[in-house]
Amino acid sequence: MPSEEFKEMQDALEAGNATVVRTLTEKALERGVDPQVILNEGLIPAMGRVGEKFKRNEVYVPEVLVAARAMYAGLDVLRPLLAKSGAKRAGKMVIGTVKGDLHDIGKNLVRMMFEGAGFEVVDLGTDVSEKRFVEAVRSENPDFLGMSALLTTTMPAMKTTIDALKEAGLRESVKVLVGGAPITHRYARDIGADGYAPDASSAVDLAKELLGQASSSAAS
Amino acid sequence: MRRPVAGMRQEKLIDLVRRSPQRLVFPLMGYPGARLTGSTLRQNGFNAELHFMSICKLVERFSPDAAFFMMDLSLEAGALGLPVRYPINESPTVEEHPVKSLADLDQFKVLDPLNDARIRSFIRVMELMSKNLDIPRGGYVTGPFTLAGLMMGASELAMATIIDSGLVHGVLEFSLGVCKRYARALAEAGADIVAILEPTAAFLSDGAFRTFCGPYIRHLIEDMDPMMVLHICGNTSHLVKEMCKTGAQGLSLDAPVDFPSIAGDVDPDVVLIGNIDPVGIMVQGTPHDVRRAVKDLIDGMASHQNFILSTGCDLPLETPFENIEAFMEEGRRCVRVCDGHATLDPAMMA
Repeated sequence: MPSEEFKEMQDALEAGNATVVRTLTEKALERGVDPQVILNEGLIPAMGRVGEKFKRNEVYVPEVLVAARAMYAGLDVLRPLLAKSGAKRAGKMVIGTVKGDLHDIGKNLVRMMFEGAGFEVVDLGTDVSEKRFVEAVRSENPDFLGMSALLTTTMPAMKTTIDALKEAGLRESVKVLVGGAPITHRYARDIGADGYAPDASSAVDLAKELLGQASSSAAS
Repeated sequence: MRRPVAGMRQEKLIDLVRRSPQRLVFPLMGYPGARLTGSTLRQNGFNAELHFMSICKLVERFSPDAAFFMMDLSLEAGALGLPVRYPINESPTVEEHPVKSLADLDQFKVLDPLNDARIRSFIRVMELMSKNLDIPRGGYVTGPFTLAGLMMGASELAMATIIDSGLVHGVLEFSLGVCKRYARALAEAGADIVAILEPTAAFLSDGAFRTFCGPYIRHLIEDMDPMMVLHICGNTSHLVKEMCKTGAQGLSLDAPVDFPSIAGDVDPDVVLIGNIDPVGIMVQGTPHDVRRAVKDLIDGMASHQNFILSTGCDLPLETPFENIEAFMEEGRRCVRVCDGHATLDPAMMA
């Protein structure tokens, strides 16, 4: 498929031009391009580049949010088609901000980066109780559970959720990733999480790494 | 303890630092005081006398070089009538962010935020601190950009800086007015220091800060009597030069900023305030960890006089008291040795 067209789509995505991304996505579909190809060769590499630039402080939160909005303009067109074709996704994540915490910008960035990397993400929103996290892990059977907290007073809810997963017999079925301003590697380790990432883009790298480990250990 | 600080208003923060024979040491702490009065954060947020007592108890116990009341980023937004949740022992949070257009601002323009009971309560705390404490007394005001973020939603504000700058400037003009009115009231209540809290600006590039944040901070600072400090949480290393242009007398910066490496970018008359990690070290660390972090920071800043040892952000309620003690002791133990204080022989102090 002409990489030129994807280049235009990618440039529009990086510049945050939602209308152009949507139009180019629709045009590609009209020409019969596979939705999975549009996702994998158009949207995902562009969002990945935005994430890399974000990690290197070349762009900041506003640029990422606007790029993500453009990505969703394309993804929303593709989503029903992808679902119909049963296309394989990079992985699945359930994500939410923990109980008592209404901050969503960090959680949203992580969701966007995961969707931008081809993951399926179920977003439970903010102020999510242990019970809702556990229920979602049970019903969605995700590869990852992502929890976010901005407040030191709400971060203990991460541990109680992990404990609730254990009690429900679901802890081994999912990798738990945690993040947020007050969270550290040490805290993540202490509460028994599988991983911590300092920013949204690194969280995707971490998830891919954990998936790689899982598949290589399954193969061996 | 009724000893007013004479002539404080004419003095700048850097003068206070230079005049002191020792490093000035004050953690940003308010919340842990609630444990000393056996009260909840919510009770303190609504009861000026109790709030003042909590601060007093902290001052008595730890003898910091300045005292601040409790941080509350929902205060101004709540005074405008935005829905706020008041948990028992967490900081209040704004629940809805209704401003989507300039027309949405009209409903707020008729309000005087100073009529709000909680704003009045915080002004009263400032008065009580001013009348009864003999160290510099500080209060906080939410910054115009952060207040705009609470009114619009932080994500929406962030995107609007790129796709609808007219809306952003309109909301900022309004929020600046609210911030100014409250800051003036704190000044009249006797605040020696007012720290502008601008955490939402941390996600801006330096260019966007220059357009959407710096100019409004500068307006807020000009004509204000108290020593004006700018506090931004998170990693703000890329914003330090811009923050210096706001006219702030002090920059209170968070733990991710490497003080020794940015100190050269800061005007020697602007005081760097910080920046021990309030959670990783002060809550989760041991007193030994605290002492080591404090010593490393003081050593790193040895050649810079414009420095006050503090925490990167407000200390959480559950901060162990022995860690605050370790912070104060280690901070005071490390005697400053730099220009103008060369009379102390470091070898003798070791």
